[in-house]
Amino acid sequence: MKKKALLRAAAVVAMVCGLVWNAMAEEGVSDTEIHIGQWGPQTGPAAAWGSVARGTDAYFKMINAEGGINGRKLIHHMFDDAYNPAKTKAGVKELQEGTGMFAWVSGVGTAPGLAVRDYLMERQIPWIGPSSGSLHWIDPASKYLFPIYPLYYIEAKALVRHAVKDLGLKQVAIAYQNDDYGKNGVQGAKAELAQHGLQVVAEVPVEVKDTDMKPHVMQLRKSDADTVLLWVSPVHAVKIVGTSKAMNFTPQWMSTSTCSDFPLMMHISKGLWEGVIAATFAELPDADHPLLQKYQKDAYGKFAAKDERWGLFYYAGILFAEPLVEAIRRCGQDLTRERVVSELEGLKNFRGIGGEISYGPLDTAKAYETRQGMKEVFLVKCLKDGKAEKLSDWMAIQYP
Amino acid sequence: MDMKRSYYEDVQLFTSGVVVFWFVALLLFLGLLPFLFKNYYVYVANYMAINVIVALGLNLLVGYTGQISLGHAGFFAIGAYGTVILMTLLRCPFLLALLAAALIAALFGFFLGLPALRLEGPYLAIATLGFGLTITQVIGRSEFFGGRQGLHTPELWVGPWHLTTDRDFYYLLIPITVMLTVAARNLIKTRVGRAFIAIREADIAAATMGVNLVFYKTLAFAVSAFYAGVGGGLYAFVLRFIEPEIFTLLMSIMFLAMVIVGGIGSIMGSIVGACLLSWMDLQLRNILSIPYLGDWLETLSQSYFSITGVSNIQYIVFGLILILIMLFEPLGILGIWLRTKRYWKTWPF
Repeated sequence: MKKKALLRAAAVVAMVCGLVWNAMAEEGVSDTEIHIGQWGPQTGPAAAWGSVARGTDAYFKMINAEGGINGRKLIHHMFDDAYNPAKTKAGVKELQEGTGMFAWVSGVGTAPGLAVRDYLMERQIPWIGPSSGSLHWIDPASKYLFPIYPLYYIEAKALVRHAVKDLGLKQVAIAYQNDDYGKNGVQGAKAELAQHGLQVVAEVPVEVKDTDMKPHVMQLRKSDADTVLLWVSPVHAVKIVGTSKAMNFTPQWMSTSTCSDFPLMMHISKGLWEGVIAATFAELPDADHPLLQKYQKDAYGKFAAKDERWGLFYYAGILFAEPLVEAIRRCGQDLTRERVVSELEGLKNFRGIGGEISYGPLDTAKAYETRQGMKEVFLVKCLKDGKAEKLSDWMAIQYP
Repeated sequence: MDMKRSYYEDVQLFTSGVVVFWFVALLLFLGLLPFLFKNYYVYVANYMAINVIVALGLNLLVGYTGQISLGHAGFFAIGAYGTVILMTLLRCPFLLALLAAALIAALFGFFLGLPALRLEGPYLAIATLGFGLTITQVIGRSEFFGGRQGLHTPELWVGPWHLTTDRDFYYLLIPITVMLTVAARNLIKTRVGRAFIAIREADIAAATMGVNLVFYKTLAFAVSAFYAGVGGGLYAFVLRFIEPEIFTLLMSIMFLAMVIVGGIGSIMGSIVGACLLSWMDLQLRNILSIPYLGDWLETLSQSYFSITGVSNIQYIVFGLILILIMLFEPLGILGIWLRTKRYWKTWPF
């Protein structure tokens, strides 16, 4: 009789402990699993960037194949939002409120990201590495948002610095997409030129829906520019270069990391991209870099679909997830969101397959220092066969 | 189907006690919905309700007046931007800003109605298409509207009530939707509604009967744009962020598809069409996680499609459903309902 009562008491104690344990366990984490969400357009206007999410997926599968992190497997939930913010919001809510995500990683696009930022931040859910170089992510800075992608602003500064100091070019013009992507580029170019006592010789806005580039090229040619920065979409960039060639206008073209996937650019431009200088934030696809080669062998080689290409966007998906994986690793068994945030804040000069990544305890007055992860880029030149020639080492640049 | 014996019988809101019963039951269900389902479904319900509002307005134009519009995303954008800007710049309270923005949309609708007096069919479709595309271009190029960087919505207060969650917003949105539904139903039962229908059937005959074509055609456009404007103003607060690229041609086509799939010239059809298409729009991406079917589709796509083909399956299914509905039921979902009702009329005998 007594034994039974004792057993019963033990059962009750165990149950209560179990309940408390459950209540304390973080959402999206169990002893064996960590749930991580990501959106990425597989269809619609931005489908070309869908490879980012597929890269992350292969990376997580590689980690799981190697035994996971501290005994836990990474469960990757990715969904297609077709670059439509209403769908992004729906998908994020569905996964967050249904399965429960521990954290979100990457996520392509400024507009889709902005539609869910408040939702994630209000619920104090970490979000690491939005895939766009927008200023929105650090202005204002948030405790749970950790952007990585270097600002387009610093890419422009790096390119102009190279043009003026190394190539001796002085007449810099810029063709920019009329949105914050393009305008960040203009600001960066102007700031760098001002330091050398120079001015932009022409600023030519390009609208997303413009198709004929002749008027834009006329303006550029009239300005006698010897260097033209292309802060536009890949399709527009190729059109501008092509139209200019037809009009005998051949300045030094320079472009952003968005257009630095050279094999792709050579393909869509039918060879016109040769000689273009671009900024980039990740090691080159064929670089002699042990970690990158490991990813190519173990993540891409084993888990990519058969017609997937080992390109910049694909392994950018790995790059954007590296700091999160590192932070989870450093947490050990005690995996909570607060702990991940503090581990991320403690990340100093972390280098994966891109530039150095550092964060710090949130200070809104120093948003760039404490929340902008990567602050450096390097420059590459497109060669005839779509290969890249490295023109510089990593260049760390301050904002503003 | 139903014989009307007097004018009052024709204009009454509820035709029988059964209808009143179901209407009340529906209201009760709508009132309890946030407590019955997860928050995600409240968001989906909000998304549906907004599309219902736009589809109702568009059906007044397409279904009842016989005009076409491929530019409703433009009115939707005017409503969204109007509401947000009136609230941030002029510190208007939300409901006032929403009303004012919808009236601005209605004014644009009136102007778009003017060319509609001389255009019909494909020509009108092109004119409205141009309008829809122009609006987003103008907004995208103007710093005042935030350009391509878009605008964030301010905090939402209705009187002393601070709306922060989807559920709060739901309780603001559903009464507005119900009100606009009843208003649309009332409108078509009046002199105005009959004028609309007369224009749809034959505008020359209507003019001969004394229907002022200039007035009623532009009115149809204005009312329809008003509905889209209200929808847009509410949509801004569902996303809490707007930018011009959201209001695409595809959006206009979706609105039109809702009306056609649901049933042209029917209030119920607009509601059903809007709900069904919004649901499919948000949920079809999960098609690959359906057991068996999803696996089968995935192998299919891996053998025949490119790497992103598998994601495009949702659009193939979407298109297929639309084609099948149109092929077998040109009246839309409403047609299915009417035939079912007729079939079971003498049940159980």
